[in-house]
Amino acid sequence: MKNYKIIVASIFSLILFSCSDNDETDSELTGNGEVSITFDNGFNGNDLIIGAKNSANTNGEELTITRLNYIVSNFSLIDVDGNEYIFPKDDSYFIISQENEIEDVVLPEIPAGEYTTLKFGVGVDQEKYLQGADGQGDFLTLAEDNEMMWSWQAGYKFLNFEGNFTSDTVTEVTDFKIHMGSHGSSLDNYKEVSLALPINVKVSDDMDSNIHLKIDASKILTGSTSIKLSEKSVIMVDEVKSPQIAVNTTEMFAVDHVHNGNGH
Amino acid sequence: MIRQICFLSICTLFFISCSSKEEEYIQINTPLAFEVPSNFPEEVYNLKANPPTKLGFELGKKLFYDGRLSANGFVSCGFCHEQRTAFTHHGHQFSHGIDDLEGKRNTPAIQNVAFMSEFAWDGATSHLDLFPIIPITNEVEMGETMSSVILKIKSDSEYQYMFEKAFEEGEITTENFLKALSQFMVMMISANSKYDYYIRNENDVDLSDIEKEGLELFKAKCATCHQTDLFTDNSFRNNGLPPNPNLNDIGRAEVSGAVSDNYKFKVPSLRNIELTAPYMHDGRFGSLAAVLDFYTDGVVDSPTLDPELKKENRLGILLTESEKIALIAYLNTLTDENYINDTRFAEY
Repeated sequence: MKNYKIIVASIFSLILFSCSDNDETDSELTGNGEVSITFDNGFNGNDLIIGAKNSANTNGEELTITRLNYIVSNFSLIDVDGNEYIFPKDDSYFIISQENEIEDVVLPEIPAGEYTTLKFGVGVDQEKYLQGADGQGDFLTLAEDNEMMWSWQAGYKFLNFEGNFTSDTVTEVTDFKIHMGSHGSSLDNYKEVSLALPINVKVSDDMDSNIHLKIDASKILTGSTSIKLSEKSVIMVDEVKSPQIAVNTTEMFAVDHVHNGNGH
Repeated sequence: MIRQICFLSICTLFFISCSSKEEEYIQINTPLAFEVPSNFPEEVYNLKANPPTKLGFELGKKLFYDGRLSANGFVSCGFCHEQRTAFTHHGHQFSHGIDDLEGKRNTPAIQNVAFMSEFAWDGATSHLDLFPIIPITNEVEMGETMSSVILKIKSDSEYQYMFEKAFEEGEITTENFLKALSQFMVMMISANSKYDYYIRNENDVDLSDIEKEGLELFKAKCATCHQTDLFTDNSFRNNGLPPNPNLNDIGRAEVSGAVSDNYKFKVPSLRNIELTAPYMHDGRFGSLAAVLDFYTDGVVDSPTLDPELKKENRLGILLTESEKIALIAYLNTLTDENYINDTRFAEY
């Protein structure tokens, strides 16, 4: 009987200990750590596989994707007290590329703490662009290497989404090309995304953490505005459709899970 | 003995100071003075982000005249931008590129670019630094990629040395490459024409009566678009040229995607206009007389025609034949011999 009591007490204390372990407070998170963000590209609930046909989207179009590249930038994290930590702007431009298997953004030296919200932009903001060579640094070359530069216009493609499709009205396999970016000085298509995290992401000297995003690339065409490839399959600089695609693109990001501590 | 050591030490000191002095002489890089002509507006280019220096300028000039920036190794920037015609491709309607390919637009002059806010006929970029990417990567111009150009340049020891000397972090990068080209182009200021001397009251230069008459006509009939002593308002306008159906160049709309920008092109500066024939974005007119004939009799109406050319129930600009002659006399005072003969910008 006595033994039994001891065992019960031990179990309770274990529970208590583990509870407090989970309940780490800010004061215990010191120094800084790395937050990585995984952009796990998918299509309508399935994995996105280059060259494989997807089942029809809500527009009744069956897409085979051959390219999905996009620029993400200006990362920031909002902590439990509502303070925003803005990752240094000069280092805050990244390309995610399905064909080149670039899916991670790594943000080193994030001040220790608990963060509730992840924010970033899709594309390159005008402020950065207008810094000229000074502001672009090697990002220009990186963008060129990943098909993210307009050849006839010295700007960035924020989204390069290509492939082919069929639909009820377009029965022959037809190529589609969606290149979205800002239109010189006349139309700014840079957009921001804010994602509330399902659990707080924690970071400290002892803890590098990961935010795993699932991307639903089908949203590019079936987000807030329905974009039918059957009506126009090459959309590059379109005053009406490009801004709609820019908004749709911001809707493709969702947080799947957060890993606090090492591992993905 | 002690005396000998002393003597030796002095000798060594002497040698050391000599050799270090020599190194400094080679390494020296000095800032270049950028002076805004008194009749010009403020510069647009951010000189603080990329201050021109002697060695940066020299590097930019070498790059400007280097054919290796193109796929076939022959087409440099200077190939289409020739100094003697104010850095235009004299006599060519369209810019010529690699493999005898031809663009669909006339090479614009390079001058006073530090004062410009939009570049290329359609404003494909609004930053000078990023402009060179357009001709370098255009398939019918230089047909290259930036990455490949940088690789070629990296393998050249002379460039390695020049980049190192021109920049604090002197690696051969796209950033430094574009900065050097901008340093060269930013210094290319044309502001010493007969008109400039006259307007600034310098060198006792006076305009003739007909030139003065032309100036007054210009102020009344042309200066709405060809504003300031840069002779452009940096805007995009449809001046009523009938579109060439073989080219179907929609101009600014290619960049903006807006139907309301169809057939609009950047208002070009008129400096050195005497030298830069043929005229218009597609080089269709061979003479200034033909240009003025177009403005009086050839303007075609369309939904995007500039309202300035559609006043008082008529199309175009009202000018008599003698007024046209006066205008051309005035426009010829914008020729800047100093600029086209300035050895700082010359290839050889």
